Amino acid sequence: MMADGRLAGRVALYGVAWATLGFILLPLIFVTWLAFFAQEIPSFPPEGYSLKWFGAIAANRNFMTGFSTSLQVAVAATVIGLLLAVPASLMLARRQFLGGAALNQLLLLPLVVPGVVMGTSIYVFQIETEIATGLPILGSLGGLVAGHTLLVIPWTVRLVTASLAGLDRAAEEAAQSLGANQWTTFFRVTLPAIRPGVVAGALFGFVTSFGNLEMSLFLVGPGRITLPIAILQYLEWKIDPTVAAVSVLQILLIAVAMVITDRYVKLARVV
Amino acid sequence: MATITQRPVGEPGALTAAGLLVPASLFVAIGLLVPIAILFRYSLNAFEPGKLMVDALTIANYVKFFSDPFYLQVLWRTVRVAVACTVFCLLFGFPLAYVLARTQSRFKNLLVMAIVLPLFVGNAVRAAGWMVAFGSKGFINASLMGLGLTSAPIEIMYTELAVIIGIIAVNLPFMVLTLQSVIEGIDRNVEEAAFSLGAPPMTMAMRVLFPLALPGILAGVILTFILAMNAYATPVLLGGPKFQTMGPLVFSTFAQQNNWPFGGAVSFILMTATLILTVASTLIIRRRYA
Repeated sequence: MMADGRLAGRVALYGVAWATLGFILLPLIFVTWLAFFAQEIPSFPPEGYSLKWFGAIAANRNFMTGFSTSLQVAVAATVIGLLLAVPASLMLARRQFLGGAALNQLLLLPLVVPGVVMGTSIYVFQIETEIATGLPILGSLGGLVAGHTLLVIPWTVRLVTASLAGLDRAAEEAAQSLGANQWTTFFRVTLPAIRPGVVAGALFGFVTSFGNLEMSLFLVGPGRITLPIAILQYLEWKIDPTVAAVSVLQILLIAVAMVITDRYVKLARVV
Repeated sequence: MATITQRPVGEPGALTAAGLLVPASLFVAIGLLVPIAILFRYSLNAFEPGKLMVDALTIANYVKFFSDPFYLQVLWRTVRVAVACTVFCLLFGFPLAYVLARTQSRFKNLLVMAIVLPLFVGNAVRAAGWMVAFGSKGFINASLMGLGLTSAPIEIMYTELAVIIGIIAVNLPFMVLTLQSVIEGIDRNVEEAAFSLGAPPMTMAMRVLFPLALPGILAGVILTFILAMNAYATPVLLGGPKFQTMGPLVFSTFAQQNNWPFGGAVSFILMTATLILTVASTLIIRRRYA
């Protein structure tokens, strides 16, 4: 009797769990399906299947420039974010000091401030800076990169401090007692040891930046939109296999980034 | 350790330490905290059509929001949708998080990837997926009509239901991953103890698992609630132009009406409402289980 109750419980548990996983993946499955439709109108059942929509992407200027802008911004933001966040993580993980916890919270803040609020705030800040300095910032590539760097920093801090926490210091001590200076020790001993955390932080930062929509909406200028914004604007107008094909390419790009990350750090441990 | 070298390894002098920490901290402080402060100051300015923003120190923008039934309706709709989404995320997310936390499968990493991938793919792409399903000739209507269950297509696109379904799917991965990490920390033996004392599965879950997982439940509820309150792409694409929520309202006030003071006020009302409701839900959940 009691065993029956547990069995029924297990069946219900697994039923709900698998249904939920399916529900999470369902929109990606639908959009992938549509990308291979033969006809342009998304009506079911499809009249046939075709690969032609992937070729149609190249004819859409917004998707092409959007992809190139997103890629440039994400790469630049990731590089700058790493240069800022890796040294800071080193200090946060290694040194106890007054206000250390507060600084850690500050660096993780961009992860919890809502995208729309970040967008509006940075928008007015860039306007003020533009008025004060006379430099064209709003809508420039630099302004966009600065905003996106804020998205990369928290991921890098989170993943690098995590990998530093599990690091044995004996190797660093050995290097220093053999006469290596601080910099040599860092580049030859510490950095290789925390490489998984740095790679994971970089990839998560890259992916977050590449997919960002809400903040970018406020920071892009005329003729310089990112891929997610290009997709959003297209979808506000209509849905067809071309936009689905672009979506499939974005899904693939991110899937590849995930698989590479997983080789360095088990995803189950870091997200 | 300090006896090996003069200075503990990996702990450079104060000057170097500051040099390593200051750039990142300054970047976030100037890049995010200062902008939020400026936005708040903007929200106290006045707006005159034609002249745009006029320097002032007034709460008129906040009064305008709270005295206009239209804006109150938008806020109420946003809260209603966010609460519904959060409740469903918790109900559906918990079983998946539990299975994920307890599985011994060597495909666990693949499962985690299947949950993380949609998270990073972006909201517009996922909304596109739902548009394929919800349209009048979409998958759901074609299936219903094909099976003879309905004669005319049912309206799903541009309804509150579509937005709620979309946001639940967007937020579920956050909830599942947050819960999973906490459930993994709970000793399996306490569950077995409850079972051996004759507790049915639901009783075990309610009396043992939930109280122990409370910190994770709280973290997951707060995260998904904040995300649901601030949703942008999902309400825009699945709700349509007539379905106004706070996120799209902030954007249209800023970008289309160029009313920065009022846009700033709407941003702060959204942030404050989110904060108050987050604190309230924390207190309710604590009282229920603690």
